[in-house]
Amino acid sequence: MYTKIISALFLMCTIFLMSCDREIYMTTPGNLVPKTVDDDLSIPAISINGTKLHAETYGDPRNPMVIVLHGGPGGDYRYLLRCKQFATQGYFVVFYDQRGSGLSRRHDKSIYTLDINIQDLQQVIRYYRKSNDQKVFLLGHSWGAMLATSYINAHPHEIAGVILAEPGGFVWNDIKDYVSRTHEVALNTELLNDATYLDQFITGKENEHEILDYKLALLSASDGSKESPLGNEGPLPFWRYGAVVNNALFDLGSHQNFDWISHLNTYQTKVCFVYSENNKAYGLDHALKVSGAYPQVQLFKVNGAGHDMLSFDTGWQNVYPVALNYLNSLK
Amino acid sequence: MKNFLLINVLFVISILNTIAQSYNWSRLDPKHPHSINVQAGIDYGLTYGLGYGYILKTKWPAILNVQFSKPLGQNTFDDYKMLLGGQVRLLQWNGFRLNTKLMSIFRHHENEFAKLTNFGCDISGIVGYYRPRWYLSTEIGFDKAIVTHFRHSDLYKENVPSVLDGWYQPATGGNFYYGFQGGYSFKHQDIYIKAGKLIEQDFKTEPFLPIYMQLGLNFHF
Repeated sequence: MYTKIISALFLMCTIFLMSCDREIYMTTPGNLVPKTVDDDLSIPAISINGTKLHAETYGDPRNPMVIVLHGGPGGDYRYLLRCKQFATQGYFVVFYDQRGSGLSRRHDKSIYTLDINIQDLQQVIRYYRKSNDQKVFLLGHSWGAMLATSYINAHPHEIAGVILAEPGGFVWNDIKDYVSRTHEVALNTELLNDATYLDQFITGKENEHEILDYKLALLSASDGSKESPLGNEGPLPFWRYGAVVNNALFDLGSHQNFDWISHLNTYQTKVCFVYSENNKAYGLDHALKVSGAYPQVQLFKVNGAGHDMLSFDTGWQNVYPVALNYLNSLK
Repeated sequence: MKNFLLINVLFVISILNTIAQSYNWSRLDPKHPHSINVQAGIDYGLTYGLGYGYILKTKWPAILNVQFSKPLGQNTFDDYKMLLGGQVRLLQWNGFRLNTKLMSIFRHHENEFAKLTNFGCDISGIVGYYRPRWYLSTEIGFDKAIVTHFRHSDLYKENVPSVLDGWYQPATGGNFYYGFQGGYSFKHQDIYIKAGKLIEQDFKTEPFLPIYMQLGLNFHF
């Protein structure tokens, strides 16, 4: 009797598995996540510093340059494309997906250091800069604002101005505090399930980029949830997340006592620091604490928007004129 | 509507076929071969569930199990897990026993980007000391997500137009777990706790919730 039951179950499983009409693999580029610049040569790209980055520019290359730095780490610049509006106002706008992020080349986790993104940014500036007189501005969102600050801290005399949108912090403790607040959700929420339940369906090894990037993409759906403290209006548009670089930089941050504020006192240019009304994990206190590392700050609260204030209508309509006035004042 | 019907069927099955997750093997009584189990705990989320167990009249003591569980959350049945399988006692020496558990798994998860449906299996070994009133054991096991169907929402396809829906292979995931079980038995009931740690099959990565825990109650009849 039991043998028959077990045989029947085995037969059903076999029929089920045989009934799959074609084999689809998670690790095949393009199946679950888009191909990168290495898999699809039609994607616009630049080769710098031993890597290949997905990059695009808008505007006259001789105009003052605005380099847009996306968040994450491991996001991509798709959600910041509204910033190309600066090109219509006399700026040369440069977008690129950072190393290991978006559609840029993937690398093993071991290659990442806290400095490698600074080196990449320096190479991107050199790649696009037409003359030494051409001014370079940085516009960074979240992790991108942290990267912008780490760059200014390392090269305080190279940047003509910077717009910083809700950087988590410039020292690890501030980042840790902020990130832990973004994870504060009630235990009975769908948001918690969406973050935790997936782990029994998909697991990937350290450098299995397709699998890990896909998993991070699914997890990102929760960023647009109404239950999220981030206060966004919905999910962000994206191409592809970079899970390995995200994991690598968080690991490095937690293990290395880095300091991106040691030379900021020499940066006498006023910075434009924006934070949002609806991001419950941020707020005025954190904005003052983080922005206080700069000697001169223009602090601006973006009403009616959440963390991704540069991506949605309300936030962008509030931020854009302030950012444009700031850039024009330093142009 | 189709989903609603399916969910109701699963729910009815779960009520009619409820199982015990952890047993006091020294009290298994063929005169009371049925058992109903209610449990709650941490299982890749805060979960609760129902189960049913049936003691088989075999040479080696064995129990057939069915279990249904789901996590808390606003969307009632977007995430759930069903297990069907059994547990067998392999060795016995005084109060010590070695048991093994083999469960087939059907589970579902969805969010705004995708619906994932998975067939998997869970195999574990349990070594413990069992007395009529109480027991304490350790468990080590492996939960494999063998084959998974991915169906993506329009929202995800707006971001990734090239995405392919369908059954993905080979196995899409796997996690090891190890921990302890302990229980107290009285009359026709067992109350138990099991808890432990999870680690992904690469033995490096921890899941977002790297622990499991279950508080349960068995009724034998």
